[in-house]
Amino acid sequence: MKTKNLILFPLISSFFLVFLVSIWKILATLQGLDIQNFNLQIIFIFGLLISFAHLRVGNKIKIFYKSIIFSLIFVICDGYIIQKLPLWYNIGIFLVLYFFVNKINKYSFEDLKQEHSTQVIFFDFLTLFGILFFSFVILFPFYMMLITSFKTQIALLVNPLDFSINFGQDLKDLFNSYFVIFKSYKFGKYILTSTIVSVGTVIITLLFAIPAAYAIARLNFFGKTFMSTSILIIYMFPAIVLVIPLYTIFSQLGLRNSIEGLLIVYTATTLPVAIYMLQGYFKSIPKELEEAAILDKLSWFGIISKIIIPLSIPAISSVALYVFMIAWNEFLFSLMFLDNPNSFTLSRAIQYLSGDAETPRQYLMAGSVIVTLPVLFIFVYFEKYLVSGLTAGSVKG
Amino acid sequence: MANIKFKGVHKSFGSNKIISDFNLKGKEDEFLVLVGPSGCGKSTLLRMIAGLEKIDEGEIFINDQKINELHPSKRQTAMVFQSYALYPHMNVFENMSFGLKIEKRPKEEILSKVTEAAKILKIEDLLDRRPKELSGGQRQRVAIGRAITRNPKIFLFDEPLSNLDAALRAEMRVEISKLHNQIKTNMIYVTHDQVEAMTLADRIVILNRGNIEQIGTPEEIYNDPSNVFVAQFIGTPKMNILEISEKNIISENTFKLLGLEINFKNIKFEKTKHYVGIRPEHLKVNDKSDFTFNPEVELIENLGNEKIVYIKKDKKQLSAKIPSNVTITDTIGFNYKDLLIFDKNQIRIKL
Repeated sequence: MKTKNLILFPLISSFFLVFLVSIWKILATLQGLDIQNFNLQIIFIFGLLISFAHLRVGNKIKIFYKSIIFSLIFVICDGYIIQKLPLWYNIGIFLVLYFFVNKINKYSFEDLKQEHSTQVIFFDFLTLFGILFFSFVILFPFYMMLITSFKTQIALLVNPLDFSINFGQDLKDLFNSYFVIFKSYKFGKYILTSTIVSVGTVIITLLFAIPAAYAIARLNFFGKTFMSTSILIIYMFPAIVLVIPLYTIFSQLGLRNSIEGLLIVYTATTLPVAIYMLQGYFKSIPKELEEAAILDKLSWFGIISKIIIPLSIPAISSVALYVFMIAWNEFLFSLMFLDNPNSFTLSRAIQYLSGDAETPRQYLMAGSVIVTLPVLFIFVYFEKYLVSGLTAGSVKG
Repeated sequence: MANIKFKGVHKSFGSNKIISDFNLKGKEDEFLVLVGPSGCGKSTLLRMIAGLEKIDEGEIFINDQKINELHPSKRQTAMVFQSYALYPHMNVFENMSFGLKIEKRPKEEILSKVTEAAKILKIEDLLDRRPKELSGGQRQRVAIGRAITRNPKIFLFDEPLSNLDAALRAEMRVEISKLHNQIKTNMIYVTHDQVEAMTLADRIVILNRGNIEQIGTPEEIYNDPSNVFVAQFIGTPKMNILEISEKNIISENTFKLLGLEINFKNIKFEKTKHYVGIRPEHLKVNDKSDFTFNPEVELIENLGNEKIVYIKKDKKQLSAKIPSNVTITDTIGFNYKDLLIFDKNQIRIKL
C-alpha cells in the first residue's frame, strides 16, 4: 500500500503541475510571448522531483521557505537556463509553483502510510483540476471579449491572434469603442429599453406570481392540483413553437415593435417558474403564523403583505433576479418581434450590428461587455439576499 | 367575565368523524382543561372556538352570543399556539402590539397595554429582541403576552408547553396558574399531559374519540372516575384494572379476587364479567390492611422518594407505588374503600 501511494502521489501531483504550468504558458503565449517549446517532459520530471523532495524534507523547513526555495529553483531552470524569458512571465511561474507547493504540503510522508490516502489525494487533485479547467473554459471567452473591445481597428487587422492589451495607449483610445457605440450606435437608448423591459417584467411577474403562488400553496379550490401541474407543463413548451403564432397575433394587434408586447411575452414565459419557486417557499412558512395573523384581525391581503412577503424576501429576490436575467438576456422573441431599431433591446441590437458586415468587431465586443456587466453586478449585489432561513425562531428551533 | 357553551357540535374531516354531538356548559371564568390521547379532537374543538376551523353542525356560544358565523377576530378570543407562532420579522414589542396596531388603536394605549402584559410575564427587558434571539420559555411568554394584550374574553391554549423541556414546563405551568389568578377570565387549555391537567384545571374534560368521558374537578376525576378509560388515563403509574370473570362472582355481593373473597354490602352483582380497579399508591406494604396477599416481585424501579414495584399474582400483573424507605416483604395489602368496581361495559358501579 505504502509503495503504491509513494508512486501515485508524485505522479498525480506532477500531472497537476504540468496542467498548471501549461495554462500559464498558454496565457503567456496569448500575451504575445514567443515560447518555442512547452517542455512538458521537463516540467513533469520537475514535478516528480519536487514531490519527492517535499516528502523527504517534510516539516523540517518552514512551509514558507520551502515553497520559496522550490519555486525559485524551478523558475531559474525554466525561465533562464532552458529559455530566456521576460521577468513578468517568471513572476507568474513563481506564483504558480508557490501555489503548487502549498497544495502538496498537505500530504506528508506519514499520511501516505495510510491506506485510503490514495483516494484522498486523487479526489483532491481532481477537484482542483475541475475547478481550474472549467473556470478557464468559461473565463477565456470573456477575456477575449474584453480584450477585443479595447483594441483599435488597425491592431485587430494587423494581428488578429494577439491577445494582449496595449496599456501604453491613451485612456481615451483604450475606451474608444465604448464612446463610439454610445455616440454613433445609440447604445444608451438600447440600454434604456432593455432596462424598462427587464424591470417591467420583474414587477409584473411578481405582481401576478405572489398571489398565485399563495393561492396554490395555501388555499383549497377546485382544480388546484391540475392548476399547479399545468403551470409547469406550460413552461415545457419550447419558445420556438409559440413564436410564429404569436407573431401573427401580435402583428394583427399592432403589438410588434412595442415594449408592451415584449412585456406580455416575457411575463408569460417567466411566470410559471416564478410561481413554482414561490409556492414552494410559501409552503415552508408555518401555517400557525397565518392563523395567528387571522386572530390579529388581518385580512387575506394583509396576511400576504404583512406576513408572507416580509418572510419571503430571500425567495422573492431570487425570483426577481431570475426573471431579470431571463428578460435581460432574452433573444428569440426580441429577434422576431422587433425590427425597428428604435425599439431594440440590447441583445437584439448586438445581433443587428453583427449582421452588418461593416460594423467593426471591437464595437460588437464593447456592446457585449455592456450587456454582461449589469447582470454580473446585480448578481453580486443580490447574492446576499439569497440566503434563506429568515423564518428561524418563529417556531420551535 | 365570560362563559362558553357547546350545543350539539359535530365536526368531521372528509369521512373521518372527529367530534360527534359535543355538549358542554362552561362556568364563569373557570380554567377548563381539555385532555385526552392524541387524535381525540381536543385541538379541533379549540380551533373551532377560535374560528380557525368551521363548525359542521351545532352551535357554540360565548356569553350566550352565538359565534358560529362570527369572524375569528370578532370572537374576542386569543390563542397561544404550541409552536408559539411569533412573527419572526418583528421584535417582541411589535409581536405583542401587532393586533392592536391593526385595529388602529392610539399609541399610548398600545404602549400601556404591552408594558402591562410584559410586566405580568416579566419580559420587560426583552421587548426589542427578535424571536430567534429568545429561548423556548421566553418565546412562550411572549406568545402568552401577545394573547394578553388582545384583552380577550377567553384565552385558548393549544398544548403550549409541549415544546419545552421538563424543567421549564414545570416552571411555566406555575406561571400559567398564577396568570389565571391574576387575570380572572375564562381559559381553555388543551393538553395530552395529565399532570398539566390536574395541576392547572378548575375543571377537567376528559375526551376520547370526540366524546366526553367525564367532566369534573381534578379531585373528582381522580377519586371518582366514571369509567375504566378515565381511571387509567389519570394517575401514574396507571390504575391496576383486574378482570373478574363470571365464575369468580360467587354471590350477589361477593367475588373472588387474587384468591381473596371480598364481600360488599349494598350492591348486587350480575353474573357477568366485572372489573376492579385499584391505584398503585393504594397497594401498601403492611399487615394492617383490610386484605393482604403474597405476590411475586418482578421488578423494582426506584424513583428516589418512592419506588414502583411490579408484582404478579395468579398470572395478573399489578404495579404498586410505595415509599422508597419501605422494604418489600411478602405481603401486599389494600383497603376495602380503595376498590373501584366497573361493570362489563367498563362503566363504574358506585358503592
